[in-house]
Amino acid sequence: MSNVVVLDNGGGLLKAGHAGDDDPTTVIPNCLYRPLSSKKFIHPSPLFPSSTATEDLTSAAVRRPIDRGYLINPDLQRDIWSHLFSTHLKISPPNSTLLLTEPLFALPSIQRAADELVFEDFGFKSLHVADPAKLVHIYEANRQPHGLAATAQCSLVVDCGFSFTHATPVYQNVALSYAAKRIDLGGKALTNYLKELVSYRSVNVMDQSFIIDDVKEKLCFVSDDVARDLQIARRRGKDNLMRCTYVLPDGVTHTNGFVKDEKEAEGYKMLSLENIEDHGDSGERVQDRKKSDLNKNEFDLTNERFLVPEMLFHPVDLGLNQAGLAECIVRAVNACSSLLHPVLYESIILTGGSTLFPRFAERLELELRPLIPEDYHLKIITQEDPILGVWRGGSFLASSPEFEGTCVTKAEYEELGSARCRLKFSHGKV
Amino acid sequence: MDDEAPNSLRRMSSRTRKVAPKMVAALASTDNRTQAALARLEALENDNAGLETVEPIDDDEASLDDDDEGYVQKKAKGTKRKTRQAKALENARKPPRNFLELLHEANLESLPPQVPSYLRAAVGPPNSTCRRHFCTVCGFASTYTCVRCGMRFCSIRCQTIHDDTRCLKFVA
Ligand SMILES: [Zn+2]
Ligand SMILES: [Zn+2]
Repeated sequence: MSNVVVLDNGGGLLKAGHAGDDDPTTVIPNCLYRPLSSKKFIHPSPLFPSSTATEDLTSAAVRRPIDRGYLINPDLQRDIWSHLFSTHLKISPPNSTLLLTEPLFALPSIQRAADELVFEDFGFKSLHVADPAKLVHIYEANRQPHGLAATAQCSLVVDCGFSFTHATPVYQNVALSYAAKRIDLGGKALTNYLKELVSYRSVNVMDQSFIIDDVKEKLCFVSDDVARDLQIARRRGKDNLMRCTYVLPDGVTHTNGFVKDEKEAEGYKMLSLENIEDHGDSGERVQDRKKSDLNKNEFDLTNERFLVPEMLFHPVDLGLNQAGLAECIVRAVNACSSLLHPVLYESIILTGGSTLFPRFAERLELELRPLIPEDYHLKIITQEDPILGVWRGGSFLASSPEFEGTCVTKAEYEELGSARCRLKFSHGKV
Repeated sequence: MDDEAPNSLRRMSSRTRKVAPKMVAALASTDNRTQAALARLEALENDNAGLETVEPIDDDEASLDDDDEGYVQKKAKGTKRKTRQAKALENARKPPRNFLELLHEANLESLPPQVPSYLRAAVGPPNSTCRRHFCTVCGFASTYTCVRCGMRFCSIRCQTIHDDTRCLKFVA
């Protein structure tokens, strides 16, 4: 049995490991970065297995091989993969088969560049290219053999990733590309939006992508009542359940930023218990906000915490003329045969790192329910680890007995070229 | 092999090479607001905003220690396929391109409407006509709209910040 490598080549994170394993061997940012102190772009250390290496990422410049979700810089990707295969996976490509993820609708020129990378630069023995939605569906159908994804062989995969967000119906293990819908917003745009908000309101953090990522992951949440939460975010003192403080690294006593008061940061969770009444909006304006001590290199967050994820639900409120997540899902479902509609709504799978915001699923349900027929059941399934869902589906698929037959070999590639090989992934034969 | 790009594509790529990435997206529209919206999205996708020192990227400078290249197959020069040579020549002439340029080059508009494509998968504008308006500066409810770019603000203070730091700044 030959070695099968599963590589979920995300715009933000690479997830890589061996077929049949429960979890990837390594999770590593898909980029090179250059710290202020360095002249060279270097490889980031893996998030998993976590290392103790402390890199000073303050003001680091970043280069990514993926733009808007697609592989556009094969030379850079080659550097990153080469390091990945030799240092982290310790595999020999000519003796290995590769399962590679690629989003739907990759342009032919992009597919060709990816195939060249796999066969000509690395010399892999054979290749299978799969879209993330299909893999997530396969993982869930396998995990819950009595769930609808398995019994009806049908689900709606909602993937809020780093580069964009897709709602993709999957039927009989095939993503229905004619019905897939995309919102051009993902985790990267949300981080950059938070960067802007913080920079305009308190401290300039425009060059601090890595730190603001951390702020977003630790402090942002999805509001279930934006009007109410905006009111609360204006209150003074302890009544402002939204306020919390983040401390920036000072490079001396601490190299990582941190949340100043964890308990304070959890304050918004009290909302469901609190009797919602108007505490008398004091008419406080931003300029009256008690500023955190700027000398201490820290800043306060209030409404930013929920306005950032809000962008996914209502991009238009924030100046981007695109439908939000709930409408996106409805449009994807409506593009399918009406026979599938009730099943799709009852089998919505959330995946991707941007679904990790607290209360994401609850809010989605709240918005979706009024948009779908009353007699349809609505069920939103959250993944145990939405960052690894795609990889785990790939690991399962690549360890199935039929997998070998769905791959394109190096010889086939050399004989037929990229475009005809691609037909094999969608139609099962060359 | 299908790797030989048709002539029409070649011609187009030489044309697009002259067009700045931002312009590719904004090309279709002369409307300030549309341009502002596209440029806004571009700004949100920017990896290195705020870093003034990011010079045009030179691949040689960025390349890594040689021992990292261990698994990349080294090819004897004579056996390189024609497509690789063509590609290398092209690469020598132009810097890495962004997705919007490649998209423009792929000319998806010419596909028949029933063919699923990147363009047709875009979710499109929202149905709902009731929009909440948040100040793009401070986040609280906004009552005013910028006449130039269509972004929202709530107060004179936020308008000043808007004018100074964002209004059409992303387009320029
Ligand atoms: Zn304002
Ligand atoms: Zn303006």
